[in-house]
Amino acid sequence: MKGIVYIVLLLCCCKNAFSQEKSFPDSIFQKSLQEVVVTATRNERKLGNVAVPVTVINQKTIRQAASLRLKDILQEQAGLFITNGFGAGVQMQGLNPDYTLILIDGEPIIGRTSGVLDLNRISVGNIKKIEIVKGPSSSLYGSEAMAGVINIITDKSFQPNVELGLRYGTYKTFDGNLTASTRIGKFGVQAFLNQFNTDGYSIRPYSVERTSLPISRSTAQIQMQYRWNEKTALNASVRYNYEHIKNELAVSNNGQTVNSSGREINKDLNVSAALTHRFSKSVFNSLRLYGTRFEGSQKLTTTNAGGYDDYFLQHFMRAENQTNFQVSKQINITTGIGYQQEKVRSSRYDDKNSQKENSVGYGYFQTEWSPYQKLSLIAGFRYDANKVYAAAFSPKIAAKYAFSDRLQIRASYGKGFKAPDFRQLYLNFTNTSAGSYSVYGALEAGSTIAQLDAAGLIKQYENDFYALQNLRPEYSNGFNAGFTFFPLKKLQWQLNIFRNDIKDLIESRLVATRINNTQIYSYINVKQAFTQGLESNISFLIYPCWTFNAGYQFLQTADKDEWQKVKAGNYYYTRDANNNTRLLSRKDYIGLPNRSKHMGNFKIGFEAPNARWFVNMRALYRSKWVVFDKDGNGIYNRQDEFADGFVQLNLSAGYQLKNGLRFQVGTDNALNYTDAANLPNAPGRTFFAGVNWNFKKQSSNNIKK
Amino acid sequence: MLKSMRKFSILLAAVIIAFSSCKKEDVVTPVDTTNDGSFKVFTQGKVTTVQNLIADTIIGISPIGQPYGTGKYSFYSIENNSLVPSSDSATNRWDIAFRGTSILTNAGTSGPGNGGAFVQVGTFDAISAVSADSTFRTDAAPLYAIPLGSGKGWYNYNGASNLLTPIPGRVMMIRTASGKYAKLEILNYYKTGITPSSTAPDDIKINTQRYYNFRYTFQANGSTTF
Repeated sequence: MKGIVYIVLLLCCCKNAFSQEKSFPDSIFQKSLQEVVVTATRNERKLGNVAVPVTVINQKTIRQAASLRLKDILQEQAGLFITNGFGAGVQMQGLNPDYTLILIDGEPIIGRTSGVLDLNRISVGNIKKIEIVKGPSSSLYGSEAMAGVINIITDKSFQPNVELGLRYGTYKTFDGNLTASTRIGKFGVQAFLNQFNTDGYSIRPYSVERTSLPISRSTAQIQMQYRWNEKTALNASVRYNYEHIKNELAVSNNGQTVNSSGREINKDLNVSAALTHRFSKSVFNSLRLYGTRFEGSQKLTTTNAGGYDDYFLQHFMRAENQTNFQVSKQINITTGIGYQQEKVRSSRYDDKNSQKENSVGYGYFQTEWSPYQKLSLIAGFRYDANKVYAAAFSPKIAAKYAFSDRLQIRASYGKGFKAPDFRQLYLNFTNTSAGSYSVYGALEAGSTIAQLDAAGLIKQYENDFYALQNLRPEYSNGFNAGFTFFPLKKLQWQLNIFRNDIKDLIESRLVATRINNTQIYSYINVKQAFTQGLESNISFLIYPCWTFNAGYQFLQTADKDEWQKVKAGNYYYTRDANNNTRLLSRKDYIGLPNRSKHMGNFKIGFEAPNARWFVNMRALYRSKWVVFDKDGNGIYNRQDEFADGFVQLNLSAGYQLKNGLRFQVGTDNALNYTDAANLPNAPGRTFFAGVNWNFKKQSSNNIKK
Repeated sequence: MLKSMRKFSILLAAVIIAFSSCKKEDVVTPVDTTNDGSFKVFTQGKVTTVQNLIADTIIGISPIGQPYGTGKYSFYSIENNSLVPSSDSATNRWDIAFRGTSILTNAGTSGPGNGGAFVQVGTFDAISAVSADSTFRTDAAPLYAIPLGSGKGWYNYNGASNLLTPIPGRVMMIRTASGKYAKLEILNYYKTGITPSSTAPDDIKINTQRYYNFRYTFQANGSTTF
């Protein structure tokens, strides 16, 4: 009964809203197109003028979704899927996490394990917005920007303010944020502290082993700005992140119990400085220096002979200068040069004292040309040269045409690449427990095998040995085309279709066999694949109360060699439950594993007209995805090889007092959907409550009085 | 106790065989094809099926977690549809031998016979003859006529689930010790012919593996057609 009253109240409020509609001169969406974005062109451009697909997630969305880590907010976006294994990675346009570049304020985050950058390492407490650019962006960003770029933009307003946020929830999950900023004359400073703890959880039946381990993460960041005048400013930032993961477990086998105790510590340090200067109305220059360090160590001790000790240290340093010229009202040119150096020491390669390094020199150039108001064109390229693997040339072209205020179309083509990583170049690994096979990086394999052969230890070269050579980067050619359409003033429909052709994917292959029959593997450019699909986002507003969002992605993928063989119809077979074998047909072929054909989300938000309180519901859907080759033919084709699709429902509500206090409660995964085998990172239903105090809001409210 | 049980069952089997062979009517007794986990050989038409041929099952786990067996092969005669004692391993009495994922044929470094094999792509039913351009490989340790390794010969091993599956559409063309031909398909590698679920506990995956379930057609007249 109470509920009905509330619904009536809500409807009443919206009726008021409709009656007020005339007083709103412009659609809120048209306003959103005026939002300034930087990631797509490395220039400040209005969202509506950008020719490539860009999504912006603003701070309000992040806060109302009660997100804590980068993973939490990205998983609510259409077309992004969070993968498990080596942390939470993001799959964009069907490409693995390896192929999405992740930036904080335009500078890359390092420390990937097996290509995955764990999104849980990044707190969203001080984020102003997240810009997501889809499609190859190597023409501006170089390696890794193959599927796209996610740029996290921190708040740099330096307004005098103190903000404190505390939150507690299921599984002893605690999150605390403290942000303090001020401006003293020409000097601005902001400090941010975040502490996150969780006790982990276990969703596997009959197992005491935790699916998710107890974790503690601490982040501190200081940002400073010195502004001499309107033309010249210096920005500097230091960010440090510390992560501690505990793993205590006991395994019983035949009455024997083996206790093991593990700990993983990851430390991130990022230091950046940027000097910007406007030489004239048409020339703007920025000089950026960036250094980052990631150190990860994992140690496991057990009461039996097992256990391991893993160490990884990576340094990345970069100097870059970018100049923007406004040649005329129609033409803008952006050009930059840079040099970066990367060093790695790891027990995963040979020994942890041997340092591997690579340096890259690069230059990029981009022209934006708007011959007349409705049409804008972008053409650009980047060249990356280095001493270890083949150089990369990455062009991009894009066009946007506005038929009217209601309909814009855009299309783009870009080439993306991902440089071979240190593992693929330098690995020197021999597994003494499982069959004593060895894996050598591409730069090590040739000489190591030659030495072994000289000592008479090589029995046989495999065909792939002769394919060993300097690795080339992995390449993609990406096409995107779509529109933004306003069928109604408050109804926005964005559609993008995409196709990515990926070649020279690097895989490990058997290259030689030793006299004692142990096998030697190395890395070569072998595989080809494609992903294609469409993404649609529909937003509908009933001002000022209701927002409705519906996002959807359709995705098809294939390994091109597998697909060719399936089409040829003489290589792949399958077997049914009665062991009857038959030739695989085209329609059996599913494609790459861990990808859902359909993904979607549906979000309803209600916000009181006075903005004092809000309620929202976010439903996330993912269709079944293939995980297992049950019939053993090496590819994915059977209907029983899938993990089940699911719906996750998240709810949140908040209330704001005049004195700057905000309260928020919510539940994630309200339907309590779990799948221990395939979704170990998704706990069951969780609850949380939080409070946030904003000093500025308090004082500004006082002033109003 | 166990011994006497076995004796009793052998006696029972002998009695049953004795009685059934005594039947005067030429009624074809229906073949019991149910797979109860025991070693069984039966023939239906041209196709002989073997269930649960034990190929050096795992007897222990090494300190570093590697399962191991006794290291002995199980020898089988395709011509006689029966197991061959390992004391006959140096004779022509066997045609094919199994140990873990390794399969031997009786020739070259494996035995004195005239055997050999190769893996052909296709379905068991569709292969009606040994094609004229076939080359039979012989074992030359450490290279074998049936190649070792996941994805290279007859099986795929999934490192994530630790399960082994025969590749569908791979048929072994076998030349027996006496030089006659057979086509043979491995159906399953686990006891009762059912691969454990990918989420099954490790001890089930370990204790039910190395039980070969396969079928073959043998051409006794020495021709290359089946």
